Amino acid sequence: MKHWMFSCKEVTQMVSESMDRDLPRYQRIGIWIHLMMCKSCSRYRQQLMSLRRVLRSEGLHDEDSEPCAKLPPDARERIKRSLHRNDLEIETTKDL
Amino acid sequence: MGITDNFDPETWVDRYGNYLYCYALSRIQDSPIAEDLVQETFLAALQSWKQFEGRSSQKTWLTGILKHKIMDHFRKKIREGTADRSSSIENLDEFFDEKGQWKQVPAKWTANPHNLYEQHEFMKVLQNCLSELPGRLSIIFTLREMMGESTQKICKILDISATNCGVMLYRARIYLRRCLEINWISGNTFEDSR
Repeated sequence: MKHWMFSCKEVTQMVSESMDRDLPRYQRIGIWIHLMMCKSCSRYRQQLMSLRRVLRSEGLHDEDSEPCAKLPPDARERIKRSLHRNDLEIETTKDL
Repeated sequence: MGITDNFDPETWVDRYGNYLYCYALSRIQDSPIAEDLVQETFLAALQSWKQFEGRSSQKTWLTGILKHKIMDHFRKKIREGTADRSSSIENLDEFFDEKGQWKQVPAKWTANPHNLYEQHEFMKVLQNCLSELPGRLSIIFTLREMMGESTQKICKILDISATNCGVMLYRARIYLRRCLEINWISGNTFEDSR
């Protein structure tokens, strides 16, 4: 048994850790060797990385890309009213 | 007085409402709370308008306020224990056999969330997957992968050790990856024509 070889379970965990901090050299090398030979783990890594890129991208919530639900009309009106009320309050306190 | 000229809260809701709502909803998967957080964001912006120096855009400024509101919401959930502590995900036996090999290997993703036309569907599935995760895993994933917070900060918010934080992030990632694969990718699978 080659003890320096990591299993898929170990590699997936270390890949996850590598997304949060720098790993020691022997782990990085171990991961690299494993990923060269293991399509599944290298797929896992690529997918996690691309997921992060998409989820952190600026355009994800832009209206023209229509990625998710719109602010419901009743909430929209409610928020406008509350803003208006508070705006008036601020205006009045300014005048005092 | 360029800054005060731009002070136009009446238009905020129409201009930034959808964006902020979408931003909040995709992170907390609860529409009434998302609405409340958007409202609180605008009200806080109104109060602190004087501190806005126009160094960033209004949208960026508002998003920054909303981010804080979302993190406060997470803190509250953790504190009150409404984010379930016991994770049903105790071990990873369903993913790996006793030799540590994949039981079911990750499939090739044929749908690509980078494509805008797929994003609507993608966000829907993502939100379902996030709400299926145990509360704390969902929060930790959101903070790290969507909001890009540092692990130190995340450990503090969840009040856990760095080791535990790493374990939870790993579980969240591996479960979410599989959930997306089952519900989104395979639902949209199309063969490469080449």
